[in-house]
Amino acid sequence: MGSLGYRVPTMIRVVDLTKRFGPTVAVDKVSFEIGRGEVVGFLGPNGAGKTTTIRVLTGYHPATSGLAEVAGFDVHKHSLDVRKHIGYLPQEVPIYPDLRVVEYLRYRAELKGVRGKERKFAVSRAMAKSGIEEVARKLVGQISHGYRQRVGLADALVANPPILILDEPTSGLDPNQRRRIKQVVRDLAQEHTVLFSSHILGEVQDVCSRVIVIHRGTLRADGAPDQLVQQSTRASLSVRARCASVVLREIVLMLPGVVGDTISLTDRDGVSSLSCHVEPGADPTTQLGARLQDAAIAVQTLRLELPTLEEYFYSITDGLDHQAEQAVAVGVEAETEIETEPAASDVIDDQNGDANGGQQ
Amino acid sequence: MRGAITTLKKELLSYAVSPVSWIIAFLFYLIRGSEVSNIVYGFAMFRADVNQFPAATYGVNSTFNMVLLVPGIVTMRCFAEERRTGSIETLMTAPLRDSEVVIGKWLAATVFFALLWLPSVFLLHLMEYPDYFNADISFGPVFSAYLGMFLLSGFLLAFGCFASSLTDNVLLAAIVTILFSGAMVNGRGILLQALGEWRDNYYARELLAKMDVQGNFSNWFARGLIDTSQVAFYLGGIGFFLFLTWTSLTSRRLA
Repeated sequence: MGSLGYRVPTMIRVVDLTKRFGPTVAVDKVSFEIGRGEVVGFLGPNGAGKTTTIRVLTGYHPATSGLAEVAGFDVHKHSLDVRKHIGYLPQEVPIYPDLRVVEYLRYRAELKGVRGKERKFAVSRAMAKSGIEEVARKLVGQISHGYRQRVGLADALVANPPILILDEPTSGLDPNQRRRIKQVVRDLAQEHTVLFSSHILGEVQDVCSRVIVIHRGTLRADGAPDQLVQQSTRASLSVRARCASVVLREIVLMLPGVVGDTISLTDRDGVSSLSCHVEPGADPTTQLGARLQDAAIAVQTLRLELPTLEEYFYSITDGLDHQAEQAVAVGVEAETEIETEPAASDVIDDQNGDANGGQQ
Repeated sequence: MRGAITTLKKELLSYAVSPVSWIIAFLFYLIRGSEVSNIVYGFAMFRADVNQFPAATYGVNSTFNMVLLVPGIVTMRCFAEERRTGSIETLMTAPLRDSEVVIGKWLAATVFFALLWLPSVFLLHLMEYPDYFNADISFGPVFSAYLGMFLLSGFLLAFGCFASSLTDNVLLAAIVTILFSGAMVNGRGILLQALGEWRDNYYARELLAKMDVQGNFSNWFARGLIDTSQVAFYLGGIGFFLFLTWTSLTSRRLA
């Protein structure tokens, strides 16, 4: 949207939204906007305020203060208009167990104003999209949790609303069902605005072009997942080289972006290992490689571990409370990695061993 | 009103597929059938005036049970079940007015109740068969008796909807409604005693007279007399409790 350079109409606008339950502040001055056609992941740990925010947007709860607009309508003053524009899948999908799936969907379509002949078509389209045709004649109370979740999704889709709000649509599903729901959401992105809440990060990264992170009721981050991760989380640099640890430390400290006080060093049999954090966005690996080569130091390992969304999420939610733990958080896969082959490094080692010996 | 009709249809479907409905209907007609056949034997034995037959059938136990117990059982699930399972969330985030939900649900309960009652007219009609009693039962009193019954049950069902909207405990909703129904049927005597010297007050007396369900029924409706003030009392009561139900439902949208 933004990258194309024109302004997309805002479908969901939240300004300073606050929701209190007695003394508990569930949502505290949260603001964000979602444009038409965006698929936005709404992230946060359990109890962060996701469901509360969603319930305010759907008109189920009133806001204590602040503004929430959906499709240009105030959720409090024009609740009915807002509800006409929303397809909502609640976290726990509650469906009347004594109705058949198709009966339930017909009822919901009628409730949402889908009329006459169109209704039959709308119901079968929603069932096809959610992949529940095979259970159409079954009683809702007799189908599995995964199917029930998809019946809920079909319910959200049935009136073909411009905005879809899905509250943890994949919770409690097996990997295949999860995959299916992700595919449905991806397909929906073509013609709908989707707000997709989850605490499963991989899923959000797969599906959403943008994430909004909320923690303890406050907004912690808003942006494209990759950008957010790169911009605001420290990557960790690790180097293993055959030299004195003091030398390695000096070289690394001269690099731009290195956070000096995070350096940890070990020295064993003339091989020094160093690890430290680098500032968000910085990548000193090329420079470090060049300098080590200049100094004729044999490099065994040199890599920059970029943080994953998971680490980022951790750092801005739980990590805030446990900075120390964050320091040992394990990265999943290195993106920039220079790792010399053992045979080659042995050769360099030998050469540099001489050089080091000479220096000593 | 589209939302109310959709709700009505769905609720009636739910009543139709619920075993509880069929158990109520079965028990009601089992008990009522045996009671009515007892009355028939009585009439035959004592050669009583067959035209008094309808009035005799109103006072049987199944009528009282129907008024005392059934409204609570019919309406207990209305909102309490939705609240318990959480389906109230999907209902209240659907594009229909809260008032449509309330009216749809109450109407469904009332229609269901009427469907339970109506076949009992055939028990009266049996008397008119030439080779049976060949009675000439006049339509007027029967109509007004059934009208009175519908007004009363509509009133109790409206209260039942309200009670159900206050809690997520289905049993509690049923018990509260049953207690209320009991108070409406039997509460006048207790109230009269509790009032002490206030019982001579004009307004208290008039209000109690309107609330005297048994008196209204046996002295007026069952005799074919329709008193508009009584009709207004029941309709007003229906409106009042439906309004309270709506308030209870819509209050969660208010800041």
